[in-house]
Amino acid sequence: MTPETEEKSGRVLDEGDGVELLAYLVTAARTQLDEAAEYAPMRLLTAARRLAEMAEPNASARLRPLLRDIRQGCSETAVQAGDPAGYVERLDALCRTVAEYLVRSLGLDRSP
Amino acid sequence: MTDAVLQAIRTRRVVRALTDAPVGHDQLRTLLDSARYAPHAGNRRLHRYVVVTRPSLLRAVRMVSPGMLQRPAAAIVVCVDWAQVHSYGFSTANPGPYIDVGTAAATLLLAAHSTGLGAGPVTSFSRAALATILNLPTGVRPELIICLGHAAAGQPPAVRRRGGPRWDDLIQWERG
Repeated sequence: MTPETEEKSGRVLDEGDGVELLAYLVTAARTQLDEAAEYAPMRLLTAARRLAEMAEPNASARLRPLLRDIRQGCSETAVQAGDPAGYVERLDALCRTVAEYLVRSLGLDRSP
Repeated sequence: MTDAVLQAIRTRRVVRALTDAPVGHDQLRTLLDSARYAPHAGNRRLHRYVVVTRPSLLRAVRMVSPGMLQRPAAAIVVCVDWAQVHSYGFSTANPGPYIDVGTAAATLLLAAHSTGLGAGPVTSFSRAALATILNLPTGVRPELIICLGHAAAGQPPAVRRRGGPRWDDLIQWERG
């Protein structure tokens, strides 16, 4: 058994939440064709934030801090032009947070 | 009177966090009536206004509107009756109907502000999906949503940009 399955992984989304996110993603793909390119990362982050919000109540104790970090990781109204270098840094930090979670949860920091 | 209008213009903000408190029917009527007074080219009445207050319908509207950060207690969808537009002989490229969506939106936002409601415009949504959800007649397309509700205590920060032109740099007096 791999480390990620050692802790019981239960269902974190109900069907309604799943449909909400699905609708968001499909319609965001369409609206992005007409929108400023700078909105693309913002829309993806909004999707990530909404997924984190939906999942958090039923998530395991181990996953919950990651979901909280994602919710708080980037302002809903932040665009790159507001602070170009800071925006990249915040996104990189969020990516590192996700990666660190993956390393821990997949047991990659243990000897093979 | 003039001071009050300027005060309203200067203090209005886009409200992106709203409470669950409902918006009254009379308030919605007041806002809709205000839109009658928005400047519309030729007073042709090419626009349609769809009021949404049912929670399940609002939720569906939000699902297909990626730009809708708020959870509104009500919404007014400003639509253009493109069949009517074309019957007047306007080409599709004529920006007039869109300009009038803007004047209606500005008027609705100010009216909401004056009645104590929080409001914010949304243009990032799927026209096709929203028309289906609202069961709009053929030729009527949603172009802008005004989200309405009571402002929550904490608001997301306004969109900030660095290095843009100063306001005065955007203005030309007389010939350039």
